[in-house]
Amino acid sequence: MTVLTTDRRSLLGALAVGLPLGAALPAAAQTAAPGTLRIALLTDIANYDPHQFSFVNASLIKNLYDTLIEYTPEGRAEPSLAEAWTIAPDSRSVTVTLRRGVKFHSGNPLTAEAVATTLKKAADPSLGKNLYPTMSIVQDWTVVDPQTIRLNMKGPVPDRQITDLLQFIAVIDPAGIATVEQTPAGTGAYKLAERAVGQRIRLVANPDYWRQGEPVTKEVVFTIFSQDAAATASLESGGVDVIYGGSSRSAARLKSQGYPVLDGPGPLVQVFRINTTRGPFRNAQFRQAFNYLIDREGILRVGYAGLGQVVALPWAPSSPAYDPSYAQTYAFNIEKGRELLQRSGLSQAEMSDWKLVVNAGSQPDVAISQVVQNTLRRVGINIELDMKEGAELVDSMLKGRFDTIFGGVGNIQKFPSRVATNSIYRTANNPILGEPHPFPEYVAAIERINTTLGSGPEVKAAYDHLNKVLVETSFGIPTNTYNPGLIVTAKNVSGFTLDMDNMLVLRTTAVRR
Amino acid sequence: MSGMLVSARHVAQRVFAQPAAAVALAWLAALAVAAILAPLLGLDPLAQDLVRMLEGLSRDYPFGTDELGRDILARAVYGARTSLVTAAGAVTLAASIGVPMGLVAGFFGGWRDAVLMRIVDLLLALPGIMLALALIAVLGRSQAAALVAVGLTGVPTFARVARAQVLSLRRRDFVTAVEAFGGTPAYSLTRTILPNSWSPILTQMVVLSSVAILLEAALAFLGVGIPPPTPSWGEMLRTGKEYLYEAPTYAVLPGLVLTVTILAFDTIGRALSSVLEGRDAPLARPVESP
Repeated sequence: MTVLTTDRRSLLGALAVGLPLGAALPAAAQTAAPGTLRIALLTDIANYDPHQFSFVNASLIKNLYDTLIEYTPEGRAEPSLAEAWTIAPDSRSVTVTLRRGVKFHSGNPLTAEAVATTLKKAADPSLGKNLYPTMSIVQDWTVVDPQTIRLNMKGPVPDRQITDLLQFIAVIDPAGIATVEQTPAGTGAYKLAERAVGQRIRLVANPDYWRQGEPVTKEVVFTIFSQDAAATASLESGGVDVIYGGSSRSAARLKSQGYPVLDGPGPLVQVFRINTTRGPFRNAQFRQAFNYLIDREGILRVGYAGLGQVVALPWAPSSPAYDPSYAQTYAFNIEKGRELLQRSGLSQAEMSDWKLVVNAGSQPDVAISQVVQNTLRRVGINIELDMKEGAELVDSMLKGRFDTIFGGVGNIQKFPSRVATNSIYRTANNPILGEPHPFPEYVAAIERINTTLGSGPEVKAAYDHLNKVLVETSFGIPTNTYNPGLIVTAKNVSGFTLDMDNMLVLRTTAVRR
Repeated sequence: MSGMLVSARHVAQRVFAQPAAAVALAWLAALAVAAILAPLLGLDPLAQDLVRMLEGLSRDYPFGTDELGRDILARAVYGARTSLVTAAGAVTLAASIGVPMGLVAGFFGGWRDAVLMRIVDLLLALPGIMLALALIAVLGRSQAAALVAVGLTGVPTFARVARAQVLSLRRRDFVTAVEAFGGTPAYSLTRTILPNSWSPILTQMVVLSSVAILLEAALAFLGVGIPPPTPSWGEMLRTGKEYLYEAPTYAVLPGLVLTVTILAFDTIGRALSSVLEGRDAPLARPVESP
């Protein structure tokens, strides 16, 4: 766990701009009660289910719930609700010992039975949500005693994959598990006090919280802003103390003014997704040309104000499979791209016979798509942008109704095979590439990683092999990492705990008035 | 003067004798010339320079650059093409449908009038922007779709104006005389009534041009206009407002061009109306009719 400290800030310049705007802000965003942390969000939450990891819920999950274990930003596993865990020598099970004295918000004690109830939900395809794919390695579980539970795997599983699972399991109070979407039922540092849908959420400190001295701040008020600029102005005028999930561009601008910007270890990676079942993308050399034809530096600058890293593989720097040499090997190179296009044997008309679907509601997506369109124009490929929004866009993206599309991919900081939980990278029932998977070498590379145990050279060889296959198959062209959960703070806010999944963790955060 | 054939040259002289209308015409003429000759001016609205993004005004870029390092001046000039072509097409479409509807409804009356005017009422009942949004949802985003959407919202205006003109001329002696000499309804409509109805229709065409430009910009501003990278003033306003802190001129300058253009159309429309209705000041030297 890393706790960051920031300094007091000067508001002189910001006040001049922000005061008139502050006058129009919601009351909750203006009142600065001692001991209250005021946070601006750009979207309201979807629900209180800690197994639904959609970004909109990331502001609350780790404040209302605890997971069995946590990761430091460097990826080291640490105890949380699990005081200890022991992976069997044959890597087929893990025995978890729960911390004593932990209570849910209802007052019920944390027990192995409670964890078993949570596991039952997680293993249910209709209830498990984002946790369900991670549970695929679990055969069953056994309650050993009230404080001990053993998870039995379907086969030998690499250690990191087991700890990834434990780090994902937020334990839910069995008494509230049926209504967890509507009412939180966790052990977290904060309890829900009030919610006005679309306006604000108020949390108060959990007096029975098991971590000594935490939470530091006794009350947290989230205010939902519909406009990034309004949230920014509110921070500048002192109306809020923190912006969570604002745009990279605003964060970069505030950073240049001296506001601290915290970038966690769990970014997403932007991926140019290619539907290899359509048009010229059936041709491998045509696809491979895009490894060189995408101006990743330009995309990072235009779409994300430079906040992120250029990558040619779908891994964050904290991933064990991360290999920065690929970003250099596949740096933007029009000539190399042109060579591959020529070698593809496709005519100019065939090469232009496709569209790039664009998320019209996302300014970064619109901008980076135009960067790609402009680059392709330079090599004689003229394509149209197909602007889509809302349900039409989601439908296109998840059902493969596109030739190409940009889309963020998560879980890139975890065990490498977790990338296969994203639609384009799925090894089975891939909604875009179809069944059977058109790239068996990719499926085999993922399987090799899942079955290579230990930490010796054979593990690295498996990662290297997967990286090579990803570039050769080229059904996804990663461009850059970015963080939808950027934290921009006032200088009188300190003590953030950075989370491996870039969720907002507030139990150590303090604000000085 | 309404209801009489007047010399186009005479009308033009009297319209542009008004200083505001002359300035407005000069602006529109300059805009049209720039839009037509844009390729010869060396302006490229699509060329990106990802190192020089969101720059302010400079010698290289008099209007600055946008978020992709493109020349905002070039995009504003090419945006004029989009706006003027959409406006001209939309007004032509609206007049082509609305005027015949109004003529037929007013001339024949009865069930034809009832049916056509209920259609017009239906179109009028829907706010123009809603109608355009619905049409674009069906037709998809393109310049043709924007043109049709904007054009259809103007149909009721032309239908109403044309019908009102027919009703005021229908019982006039010169129309009755044509019919007495055996003129068919088609002849009366096209050769007698329509030529005498042009004044308010022409005024409406000019006024509706400004409405069409504004509506096209509004659609683009709402994100349903012509898809990028085609330059459009509304799209520039939409994107520019996201960068108000970094590059205030990005939204302000295209917005100014849009505002001045709409004002110019509106000014000419009002001047034309005053001349055709005889409300303008007489010219210093009387102009003889041919």
